[in-house]
Amino acid sequence: MNYFPDEVIEHIFDFIASHKDRNSISLVSKSWHKIERCSRKRVFIGNCYAINPERLIERFPSLRSLTLKGKPHFADFNLVPHEWGGFVHPWIVALAKARVGLEELRLKRMVVSDESLELLSRSFASFKSLVLVSCEGFTTDGLASVAANCRHLCELDLQENEIEDHRGQWLNCFPESSTALTSLNFSCLKGETNLAALERLVARSPNLESLKVNRAVPLDALTRLLSCAPQLVDLGVGSYENEPDQESFVKLMDAIKKCTSLRSLSGFSEVAPLCLTAFYPICQNLTSLNLSYAAEIQGNHLIRFIQFCKRLQRLWILDSIGDKGLEVVASTCKELQELRVFPSDLHDEEDNDTAVTEIGLVAISAGCPKLHSILYFCKQMTNAALITVAKNCPNFIRFRLCILEPNKPDHTTSQSLDEGFGAIVQACKGLRRLSVSGLLTDKVFLYIGMYAEQLEMLSIAFAGDTDKGMLYVLNGCKKMRKLEIRDSPFGNAALLADVDKYRTMRSLWMSSCEVTLGGCKRLARNAPWLNVEIINENENNDLMMERNEEDEREKVDRLYLYRTVVGARKDAPPCVTIL
Amino acid sequence: MENSNSYSPYSSSSVDSTKPSPSESSVNLSLSLTFPSTSSQRETSQDWPPIKPRLRDTLKGLRLRQRGYHRALFVKVYMEGVPIGRKLDLSTFSSYESLLENLSHMFDTSVICGKRDIKHHVLTYQDKDGDWMMVGDIPWDMFLETVRRLKITRPERC
Repeated sequence: MNYFPDEVIEHIFDFIASHKDRNSISLVSKSWHKIERCSRKRVFIGNCYAINPERLIERFPSLRSLTLKGKPHFADFNLVPHEWGGFVHPWIVALAKARVGLEELRLKRMVVSDESLELLSRSFASFKSLVLVSCEGFTTDGLASVAANCRHLCELDLQENEIEDHRGQWLNCFPESSTALTSLNFSCLKGETNLAALERLVARSPNLESLKVNRAVPLDALTRLLSCAPQLVDLGVGSYENEPDQESFVKLMDAIKKCTSLRSLSGFSEVAPLCLTAFYPICQNLTSLNLSYAAEIQGNHLIRFIQFCKRLQRLWILDSIGDKGLEVVASTCKELQELRVFPSDLHDEEDNDTAVTEIGLVAISAGCPKLHSILYFCKQMTNAALITVAKNCPNFIRFRLCILEPNKPDHTTSQSLDEGFGAIVQACKGLRRLSVSGLLTDKVFLYIGMYAEQLEMLSIAFAGDTDKGMLYVLNGCKKMRKLEIRDSPFGNAALLADVDKYRTMRSLWMSSCEVTLGGCKRLARNAPWLNVEIINENENNDLMMERNEEDEREKVDRLYLYRTVVGARKDAPPCVTIL
Repeated sequence: MENSNSYSPYSSSSVDSTKPSPSESSVNLSLSLTFPSTSSQRETSQDWPPIKPRLRDTLKGLRLRQRGYHRALFVKVYMEGVPIGRKLDLSTFSSYESLLENLSHMFDTSVICGKRDIKHHVLTYQDKDGDWMMVGDIPWDMFLETVRRLKITRPERC
C-alpha cells in the first residue's frame, strides 16, 4: 500500500544506492517495481551475456550509468582465448538507438573497438565518465574520438588494458574548451606521449584530482605537471631509468612539496630508487600506495619509504620487501585495511631470502587491526601461521593466499593446509572472497561448506581429492556467486548433483578438471536456462561434436557455465561450443 | 603431459621429468593428480602463478635486465633473391618496432610488417612448426619463443 505519491517514494529511493538494496526494493510490489525501475540511474551487469541490451533499456529507461563485465576472471591469467567474446559494441549500438542519456560506462574484461568508442563519443551528449579495466581491441585512435567528441568528459580511466598505441596525437584531441577533467589515467599505454599536449591539458583542468601517466613521461615533465596541478589527490608516476641529476631532483621535490592534497601514489615501473625519495615530503599523508610495478626498487628502499607512511590504508607491493619489510609495515601502518603482496621472481632461480613467508603474514595480522582484505603470494606457509592469522584478524572480507608452488604442504609438518584454511573460514564470519592454495584435501572444502556462510567467490587451484570436495562447497555455501576451479579432480558427479544450485550463482568455471563432455551435455539438457560453454582451443569443435559416443567420456578442457535469461549467445567463436 | 613430483604424499613415485615415456606418464596420472612440473616447463607457463599480464611483463623485463648477459637468440635472416643471409640476435630487441628499424638499416631498405605491396619489403618468419607466417600478429614475447628464421620478401610487382 502506498500512502505517498510516487514522486515522494522515488525521492526516498534516491537515497538507496546499493544495487542489492534496489533489487530488493523492486521485489516488494508492482508499483514499487515500476517506480524503482523508472528512476534507476545506475545498473551493474556482472555478466554481459546474462541479459541483452534491449531488455536492459526496456526495464531501465532512465539509465545514466552502466557497468558491464565480460570475460570470466581466469581470462586475466591467459586461460580464456582472446576471441572468446564480451563485445561491447551491441550494447553501445542499442543504447544509442534508444537515445539513452548515458553518462558513465564502466567495462571490465570486454572487447572494445575503435568503432565502438567512436559511436559512444558521438551518441551521448552528456557523457562524462569512461572506465575501462582489462579490456582490449582498441587503439589510441578510439581514445582520440572520445577526447575530441565528449564535450563533458570528466573521467577517462584506463586500467591494465591492451591498447594498440598508434603514437597519434590523441592527447591533442581534447578541445581547448575542455576544462572539466577530474581524472585521467593512461598508465597502460606503451607508446610515446605528447608531453606538450599533456601539460596544456593538465594546466587547463583545475578540477583534476587524479592523474596517472605512462612510462613515457620523464622526470622533468612530471615536475612541470605537478607544478600545474598541485591540487592532485591521486598520482601515477611514469618511469625514470636514470638517476636524476641534483638540480632536476630538487625541482621535483619542490613541486611535490606543494602537493599537499596528494593521498594516493602509484606507477614507478622502471624507476631508479632515488626517485622514490623525492616523495618523502608527502609520504605521511598517503592513504594508498601501489608499488607493485616498481620491480627495480629494492627492499631496503621500500622499507625506508614506508616507515613514514603512517596513514596508509591500502598497500600494494612486491615480495622484495621481505618479511622484515612486512614487520615494518605492521609496526607503522596501523590504519592498513588492504594489503597485496605480489611475486617478484617467477622463476625461483635466486635462492631468495628476501621473499615473503608465513612470518610476514603473521606480523601483518598482529600489527594491523583494521586489515580486511589481503592478497598474498608467498613461497611457503604453515597451518600454525594461518591459525594465528585467523585469531588475530577475524574481520577478513577477502582472503587470497597463493603459494607459488602448487600442492606445497605445510613446510614444517609436511601436512596439508586444510586446518589452516579451516581456521580462517571459521573465524572470519564475514568472509566474502577466498582463494586457497598449497596442499589441500577434500577436508578443507568440508570446512568451507560448513563455516563460510557469507562466501560469494571461491578460487580453487590444484586442490581436493574427490567430487566430495566440490559438493561440500556447492551444498554448504548458500551465498556462492562465482566459483572458479582449475586443475582439481572434480568431475561429473559434483557438477550434476544439484543443477538448481546454478540458478543462485552467476557462473562456474572448471578447467583441467575431470568433467567430461557427456556430463556437460547432460547438464545442458537439464538446465536450459544455463549457457554451458566448452572452450577448446586445440580442436575444431564441430569435429568434436560429430564423433561417436565413446567420446562422451572425453574430458573437457575448459568449462564455463552461467545463468542467462536470453539463451545461447550468437557471437561465440569456433573454439567455443555452447551445448 | 606433466609428471608428478615427489612433494606430495598423494603422488606415486616420481618419474624422471626429462624423459617421460607415454605409457609411464599415463599410469602416473591415473594414480595421482596432474601436478604441474616445477622444472623448466613451468618457466614458460603463461597461466601460473595467477598474476595479470602487465605484472608478468614487468617481471619478465626485470629479469632480462637483471641478467647481465642476454640469452642470445640468433636467427638467420634472408632477403628474398639474395643467396647469402645474415644472422641477428633477436634478444637485443624489445619490440617489433626496434626489430624492423634494425632490419631496415641492415638491408638498406624499408622493411615493414603487414600486407604485401609494391613499395615495401614485408617481413615474414618461420615458426617452430615450420610454417611461414606474417610477422607482427602475436605478442613480442610469444614471437621470440616461436621464431626460427626470418625472410624479407620482395615488394610485389604489378
